[in-house]
This record gives sequence, C-alpha cells and structure tokens, in this order.
Amino acid sequence: MTSATAPASPGDVGTQANGTTSGTGSQPSRASRRGASGGRASGGRASGGRQAAPRRKKPPTAAGQLLQSTWLIVVVLVLWWVLSARSTNFFIPSLQQILEALGTDLTNGVIAGGALYSLSNLFVGLAIAVVLGVGLGLVLGEVGWLRRVVDPVIHFFRCIPQAALVPLIIGTFGIGQGPKMGTIAFACFWPILLNTIDGVLGVEPTVRHFSKVYRVPKPLYFRRVVLPAALPQIVAGVRVALPIGITVMVVSEMFASTEGLGFYILNSSATFQVPQTWAGALLVGVVGYLLSVLFVFAERRLLRWYYASGAK
Amino acid sequence: MTIQDSPAAATTHVMQVRGMSMSYGTGAAFNPILQDLDLDVVAGEFVSIVGPSGVGKTTLLRCLSGLLTPQAGTITVSGDEVHGPHPDLAVVFQDYSRSLMPWMTTRENVAFPLQGKGLGKAERNALADENLAAVGLAGQGDKYPWEMSGGMQQRVAIARALAYQAKVLLMDEPFASVDAQTRFDLEDLVLKLQHELGVTILLVTHDIDEALYLADKVVVIAEKPATVVDVIETGFGEDRDQLATKADPRFAEARARIMHRLKKD
Repeated sequence: MTSATAPASPGDVGTQANGTTSGTGSQPSRASRRGASGGRASGGRASGGRQAAPRRKKPPTAAGQLLQSTWLIVVVLVLWWVLSARSTNFFIPSLQQILEALGTDLTNGVIAGGALYSLSNLFVGLAIAVVLGVGLGLVLGEVGWLRRVVDPVIHFFRCIPQAALVPLIIGTFGIGQGPKMGTIAFACFWPILLNTIDGVLGVEPTVRHFSKVYRVPKPLYFRRVVLPAALPQIVAGVRVALPIGITVMVVSEMFASTEGLGFYILNSSATFQVPQTWAGALLVGVVGYLLSVLFVFAERRLLRWYYASGAK
Repeated sequence: MTIQDSPAAATTHVMQVRGMSMSYGTGAAFNPILQDLDLDVVAGEFVSIVGPSGVGKTTLLRCLSGLLTPQAGTITVSGDEVHGPHPDLAVVFQDYSRSLMPWMTTRENVAFPLQGKGLGKAERNALADENLAAVGLAGQGDKYPWEMSGGMQQRVAIARALAYQAKVLLMDEPFASVDAQTRFDLEDLVLKLQHELGVTILLVTHDIDEALYLADKVVVIAEKPATVVDVIETGFGEDRDQLATKADPRFAEARARIMHRLKKD
C-alpha cells in the first residue's frame, strides 16, 4: 500500500515551523519540501536535480504485484481455517462457520440493508468532515493569529475519545441517522483539520510571495494555490480519518439502534450467535479495506502531479 | 527630484526610490538593513543592483516589489507612491523550482496571474503561448515544470513575468541556480527580450560580471546598513557578446571599480 504521506502529526498546529527559509542548497528538490511533516529532514534532496519522470526500475508485472500484496492474506486465511477447524471453544467458531453465517445473512438481506445504512452514515459523515475540516483548515492555516487562538481548543477536542461521546450525543440528539452521521463527522473532522492546517503551513513562501506580487485575488489564491499545495496533506488526513470513521460508525450503531453493521454485531453477540458476530466484524474489516483501496485509486488520480513530479 | 527633467518618454522615471530605510527588530535586536537609499530607473533601462551576499538585496527587492513596507522614504512606480504590490511590477524569483506551481502545466503557470487581472480564458492562453514562444518554449505549454530542466523552468518564470505585461521586471538573482552555460543563454535571452519588448528590467545580483554585462546602469550597494555607494553607466550599447563585451577594456575598468568599492568596507 502507499506509505502515508503524513500521518496526522500530533500536536503540530501552530508550532510547525515552515522550515523553508534555510536557503542553503541551490536547488533542493521539491521532494524534501513537499513531504511536509513526513520526511522533511530526510531523503529526497540527495539527487539535487529533478527527474523528468518517476524513477522506476524494472516495473513488476501485474501478476507479480498482485501476488506480492496478497500472499500474506492468503496464508493468514488458510492458517485461520486450519487452526479453527477443530475449535471447541464456543466463542471461537471455525472460519467455515463464520463464512457460512456471513453467506447466509448476506444472501437473505439481513446484512445488506445494514451495510447500506452504515455506509451511508459513513459517507455523509466523512463528507461533512472533509468540507468543514478542509474549509476551516485552509482559513486557520493562513490566518496565524486565529490559529493561535483556536489551537488549545482544537487539541482539547481532538483528545476526547470519540467513542465515549457516542452515548452522550445519541442521548442528546436522538437515535436517528442524523446524530450518527454527526458523530462520525465529529470524529473524522480533527485529523482532516490538523492535516489541512499543516499542509497550508507547508506552502512554499516563494509561492505566497508570487501570489502577492502578482496580486492574485484571495478566492483564486485559495482555490488554485493553497488548496492544491496542501492537497497531499489533506488527502493524508482523510486517509487517517477513514478508519476512525468506520470505528465510530460501528460504535454509533451499538447504542439504541436497530439497524446497521454495528447493530448486527451487537445483536448477534447478545443472542449468542457467535459466528454472526465474527462475520459482522470480518465484514467491517473487508469493507474498510476495500474503501482504503478505492481511496488509494482516487488519490493517485487526484495527486497525479505530486507523484509524477518525484515529490513522492 | 528633478521633475522638470524632460518630458521625453525616454527619460521618464518608471521607478524612483528616495531615502528608503528599512530595519528589522527593535531595542537590542535592532538590525538596520537599508539606509537612506536612492534609486532611479528610467523607462526601457536595464539596471543592475550589485552587492555582496548578505548586504540586504533581498530586503531591498521585497521593499521594491511591495512585499515589505520600508520604514522611511518613498517608492514611486509609474508616478504612484507604492504601499503594496503594484500592477506595473512583475518579479522573477530566484528559485524557479519553488515559484512555479507543479500542479499546473507551464501554460497554466504563465496564464494564471492573468486570471486575477480578469482576462478571459482564450486571451490568457493566447498570451501564455505567445510569451512561452518568446522565451524559446513554443509548443511546450502542455508540459509540467517538473518535466523540464532548470534553465527551461526559469524561462517559464520569465514568460510568466512578461505575460503579466508589467512595465518593470524585477529579477532576484534569476540565474543563480543554473549552470554556467545555461546562465549565459538566459542572460542573452533576457537582453534580447528587453530590446524587443522595451521592458524595463531591474536585476539584483551578487555577480559583478553579470551585473555589468547586462546593464545600462549598475548600482553598487554596500556597507551596513546598505546604501548606494556607486552608480556606473556601462555604455556598452545594444550589441553585447559574452566574449567581446567582457573583453572590452571598459568592462575590466568598471569591474575593478566595483570590486574596489565593495572591498573598501
């Protein structure tokens, strides 16, 4: 999988020195600059010159690549199957039983409806988080005094365990879909916000100067300069937010809910349908994995320039 | 201050600086950078500002381009006193690889500032292509900056400044990060463009040879805080050649004079 550009670097708001004023080397490669918090100090600058095309030694064949990224999962599944086959522990059913339960409930529609419900909550929640996180992050990244004012508040809220808030939010706002989406949005908001701020802080000072001297109007500046410059970091933030959103999605359905994958897991567990409980958890994992694969595809398209320029 | 100079266009001052001072910090950290600096740039002129590293050239350029406001003195561009970036000024930055945006093609990079000026898309692209051709990059508009060499990238940056249609081009050590041969090519390109398009160029450099070779007038800044210590009219005329001009006795003389000036402190 792609290595994360910049994991939601903890505690970076406001303290992130740009680190771009060194002006030592005659032409440091963009790699070392763009990597932001990921690899600012390390790597990337040795080559000095900038490659016209991404460097690639003997591209592996598609089959080879597929094999490389799947063999371990196959081994794990086989081991699981074999080792659990004779399990007598009530709480650890065999993989066969789990898959059978999954198959049954997938075909009879018990899970499908729940998954749809869960995923729609996830997508709406995540979308809200992206819009608010990126929008606010761009502003906070640009406006230093505001960032310094808001900084402690951000770190306070960021540290609150999101799952712990679920019962409170649902207690306060009710058991509908709205509060669940809101909870997911709240949880996903922070990594996106923090990464966006970081990304904006990492925008080249030269690009800022250019925009000022050439009198680029603010809306255009945000849309065509700051947003694309911060995009690699923003995408990294969304990638961090995705599994958080999935966790909160499941947890939010475990309180006063009658629908969704979380409810399915909780319900089957409460009625001692252990294979179903496992099936639900497994399904959430698979869904999460598929989403992250989709995400990587989208990222490659969205950040084509970033990867092609050798910045990555 | 001689406003009644002559009404002729040739002697119109496109830029005038009077008594400019700039410092950073206060109290114990007070750090004066520029002191009582005067500068006159006539339309169509090529002026080099030469000074040693660390003398405050970048600060000077930031003041001139409106990024910094000097603490004392005035800067006028096209007759307006400037208090921020002026539409008649465009800057070519030293670090082309960081001033060009990698998410835009070269055409988009050149056309982008024109969008802020309110030009339509077709017009922007036409201007971009025209100016890319002027710097020798015809047909390269769809490439990305990172697909190009350093010299080509700096050409794109120059095209961007030209397309902006400013009266004065400020160049901040524009050839400092390219190899010697590319540097000569770019110097000659800039001379050619200046003669063809009649733009006024103000170039800041630490390289005495470059300053002399390109300029009609070399302004030497030195001391701490920096001020103008000498102004030399080069008088090499329009036809310049990397070998012949630099072999001219006047070149050697002016060079010695500047070095002497810079050595004194």
